[in-house]
Amino acid sequence: MSDALSDHGSDIQQDDSQEEDVMTPAELIAKLEEAWLNEKFSPELLENKSEVVECVMEQLTHMESNLQRVKKGDVKASVHRMEIDRIRYVLCSYLRARLQKIERFFPHVLEKEKSRAEGEPSLLSPEEYAFAKEYYANTETYLKTVALKRMPANLQTVDLLKAVPEPCVDSFVFLRVKERQENILVEPETDDQREYVVDLEEGSQHLMRYRTIAPLVSSGAVQLI
Amino acid sequence: MDPSEVEFLAEKEVVKIIPNFSLDKVYLIGGDLGPFNPGLPVDVPVWLALNLKQRQKCRIVPPDWMDVEKLEEMRELERKENTFTPVPSPYYMELTKLLLNHASDNIPKADEIRTLVKDIWDTRIAKLRLSADSFITQQEAHAKLDNLTLMEINTIRTFLLDSLNCMYKLRSNLQPGSSKGQFTDY
Repeated sequence: MSDALSDHGSDIQQDDSQEEDVMTPAELIAKLEEAWLNEKFSPELLENKSEVVECVMEQLTHMESNLQRVKKGDVKASVHRMEIDRIRYVLCSYLRARLQKIERFFPHVLEKEKSRAEGEPSLLSPEEYAFAKEYYANTETYLKTVALKRMPANLQTVDLLKAVPEPCVDSFVFLRVKERQENILVEPETDDQREYVVDLEEGSQHLMRYRTIAPLVSSGAVQLI
Repeated sequence: MDPSEVEFLAEKEVVKIIPNFSLDKVYLIGGDLGPFNPGLPVDVPVWLALNLKQRQKCRIVPPDWMDVEKLEEMRELERKENTFTPVPSPYYMELTKLLLNHASDNIPKADEIRTLVKDIWDTRIAKLRLSADSFITQQEAHAKLDNLTLMEINTIRTFLLDSLNCMYKLRSNLQPGSSKGQFTDY
């Protein structure tokens, strides 16, 4: 068995402890999976986790460069390859889910980005921001060349903010509680019902409106499922 | 979410295998595995177990709960209770399917187990449909779903959430002057 494979486990641990204080690679992968599921199920775009994405990328390239040095047909190498493929799938699926949301809600995403206060973390990673801006410009140009140009002069503008549907934060989501929460206000469905509060016990699962628990998703107290 | 993605998550569960080869510890990104010695049981994730099994490199030891007597008990309990009973594994359905499809020769009474798990699943899905129905007719805004597994939630997700959204839009359009529920889809 080649040395490349037998000692890179400790390599990774060292790499990791230099940039992240205490997170082990396994915890990193768990973080990525959490972010993946949250992004998949939340109606709106969540905060970007580019730190996690970058660390995972680094792990993958590191592992792949190690595998380069291994000769073909090694059992260990095939196991490592399978793991890499699995992680890569989650990573791609996560990034794709974000891009899909950006494409669906681009004017609102950009508007939020514009109105974001100084020092507040951005929803978008730099690459995603560039993508959103380009998407916006392209859509606008497309609409202009295809239709708007031929419209009467008073109808030649379109407000994309009004034309593109907003994310529906009132939709229901399934969630699992990771840290106990008290007094979560549940708004009534109809006028003849009254609002009430519930406590979310750790480990319990619920179905409720995204709007009520949106801050808990971003703080990591609940996990969407 | 696609059912295959739920299965993907289930494949992370740990299962015992008895390898017929020897190999040093493997240092995966997600944690260390092994060492593997012929005849000695070792814990591995399901995805690896299935792969090794397909290459005829190991025997899979079925999890404790995958046992006719235990499952029969569970089935009775599930039928008796009105609420959802705790399941032995959060991925019981997926694991049964995966293990029985790929390693049925390692699992005693595979056919009986398949039927039992299917029975339990059917009972639970029937309950789930009933509770979804009452959730909608009573126009609730919150439901507790303890003991439901991801696969079960997933079977009802799209249908339930879409209907709730549609109902919400229709209802909020009834109230004059409200604009938040307007149909904005084009």
